[in-house]
Amino acid sequence: MKTTRRLVLAALLTATVALIGASTGAAKHSAGPFKVAWIYVGPHNDGGWSQAHDAGRLYVQKMLGSKVQTTYKENIAVGAQFNQAVASLAAQGYQMIFATSYGYVTPQIAAKYPNIKFEQATGTLVSKNVSEYFGRAEDTIFLSGMAAGYASKTGKIGDVLAYPIPEVVRHANAFTLGAQYAHPGATVRVVWTHSWFAPAAEKKAAQSLVAAGVDVLGQNVDSPATGQFAESIGDPWVGYDSDSSKFAPKSWLTASVYNWGLYYLKRVKEAMAGRWTPGFYYGTINDGFTTLAPFGPGVTAAEKAKILAVEKKIENGTFYEFEGPLYDQTGKLLVAKGVKMDVLKGGTNSLYGMNWFVKGVIGSPKG
Amino acid sequence: MRISVEQRLRRPRWLTVAVPFGSVVFAFLVAAVVLVVTGHDPVSTYRQLFDAAFLEKQSIDQTLIVATPLAFMGLAAAAAFRMKLYNIGAEGQMYLGAITGAAAGLYFGGRGGPAPFPIAAMVVAGMLGGLAWALIPGILRAFFRTNEILTSLLLNYVAGLLLTYLIFESESYWRQTKGFNATVFPTGKPLPPNAVWPGWTLHVQGGTTIPLGAFFGVGAAVVLWILYRLTRFGFEARVLGDSPRAARYAGVRMRRKILAVMAVSGAIAGLGGASQVGDFSHALDGDPNGLQKIGYGYTGIVVAALGRYNPFAVVLIAFLLGGLENAGNALQGPSFPAGLVGVIQGIILFSALGGEILSRHRIRITRKTTHDTAAPARAPEPAA
Repeated sequence: MKTTRRLVLAALLTATVALIGASTGAAKHSAGPFKVAWIYVGPHNDGGWSQAHDAGRLYVQKMLGSKVQTTYKENIAVGAQFNQAVASLAAQGYQMIFATSYGYVTPQIAAKYPNIKFEQATGTLVSKNVSEYFGRAEDTIFLSGMAAGYASKTGKIGDVLAYPIPEVVRHANAFTLGAQYAHPGATVRVVWTHSWFAPAAEKKAAQSLVAAGVDVLGQNVDSPATGQFAESIGDPWVGYDSDSSKFAPKSWLTASVYNWGLYYLKRVKEAMAGRWTPGFYYGTINDGFTTLAPFGPGVTAAEKAKILAVEKKIENGTFYEFEGPLYDQTGKLLVAKGVKMDVLKGGTNSLYGMNWFVKGVIGSPKG
Repeated sequence: MRISVEQRLRRPRWLTVAVPFGSVVFAFLVAAVVLVVTGHDPVSTYRQLFDAAFLEKQSIDQTLIVATPLAFMGLAAAAAFRMKLYNIGAEGQMYLGAITGAAAGLYFGGRGGPAPFPIAAMVVAGMLGGLAWALIPGILRAFFRTNEILTSLLLNYVAGLLLTYLIFESESYWRQTKGFNATVFPTGKPLPPNAVWPGWTLHVQGGTTIPLGAFFGVGAAVVLWILYRLTRFGFEARVLGDSPRAARYAGVRMRRKILAVMAVSGAIAGLGGASQVGDFSHALDGDPNGLQKIGYGYTGIVVAALGRYNPFAVVLIAFLLGGLENAGNALQGPSFPAGLVGVIQGIILFSALGGEILSRHRIRITRKTTHDTAAPARAPEPAA
């Protein structure tokens, strides 16, 4: 009896709301501005990865004004939530979606919406309506490593890392090579936090690194907690993702920063003009994809000049940090002299497949 | 004049329905205040929410994708909460069920044989995985009187770390190791085709697929209802929940019951995990930005509370709350707060739990007289 009454009431409730709902119109399509959406894995104002993408979106909105209509969805998990977000964007007539985390765009979802152009960051799938984009942050991370090497008196540097995946391993290697270029014989000790954004864990990691004897801190995670700790003990700090100098004004050296906006503007314009084709974009310093954040007070003028000189050499192609000879942690030669590591080709000797640390890194690349 | 809160002698029937209904209405009213304060129009927002949840093309399809795990989580919570055993660990038990279910699917699926066999193996393995994980807080509670809320909740984090470890930080059986993409980013090994759970497609709204897990969810609700309504086991569990002392006098074995009920609860949650692998992800999803980010297990508690632990009500409310979550993802954006759906869910839970107090107690205002100063005698409440 109780159950029936409850079910009847539930049905009445649903019916009432349905009546209200039925009076809505359905029209959401409008031929007008080009509709493009961004999907973020974290909050749009996380001070790190997603915020940099949102800055790119705002840049596109600013440059194209009323010709585009942009929106974003934040905190979208990989999997079912992404599919739901895409479904609702498709229903509202969005024609282009920038998916800013690995694993978002699957062949199934791309096939389900053949008229939507998907742009996936940091991935590898390329198909009729899916394009990939990322870039050589390792170049600017190398330069930021140089700043760390110059700032270190003992040659012992620390790096706070997230997950033992090739992207992070490659960045840590670039940081180490840069530190060793500026300070021959420098070592980089790494600690894994097992999270992209975990201020408490990052602070603990930084504390353990300092206890092990490092005198400069670097990171490949999204919060400035490492820097805040460095500031509190007076050690220099290299950041990541964005200019976080305001969190540690005295310790701040520099950071590798992503400028997604230029690529976004280019692709949106191509899509609007009907010239969009899928591909694999790997941005460089030259096309403004990655830059160095402004230097802090701890970087002397001489060091600045040296770092910028190397940047120039990277830009004109006369220097590449991932050119052999490169040795792994045991001293074995993995990349011969003169051989340049390719982005995709070469298995574990490619940038995207790199799962080994270079000589001088203290810690395991397996986590 | 004196205001006192006293237990009701008899709980009116209408109140037991009015309380959940009222909680939802109250939650939407409070959320409407939040909306107005942040500059949105509540009526049009709610209309859009409903559209996105149930009316738009493919919306029921998407709603079912959320409703299926929510039903399992809600049933798991209801099974335990009914006995006042607060199993907050459905989330972690779901992860363990996903791990064991995926292992069974990968192992048996690749061996050929009729399609139902790998799927049945996944169901059994998933249930066993969740059951085993739930027994840890169960044993700690039964034998060491450790609070199961704390143990089951903290084990959720352990389970999450285990899930991430299997895919992100080791070359485990579950991890995809073939192909270049596998070296670029850690992913789970895909299930062989005959281990993928089928769905039933209806030609409604441009193609709506009811996943196999949804049928299992309804089946679990039926089993749970029979268990608690028609068996001695269920009767004893209910008595234990309502009055442990009476149950002990009646000879109910407390420890055994605790273990058994936690096992049932964990098994349902584990089946939900196997459904995640078989119905939706088709591989073990160890990405920390994937299954672990959503929090089905915690929303399941809201579902169970609203359904007042009745299995069929839980399934219905899982569908409605699934629609709400789907709509929340659909509606959020720069001009619409992403956290609003979470806020509404939280207020619903608070209101539902607060409403429980209202349905069991009443506020009585008495005028103080010289004779009648003693509180009225409290008669024991008859079993509801």
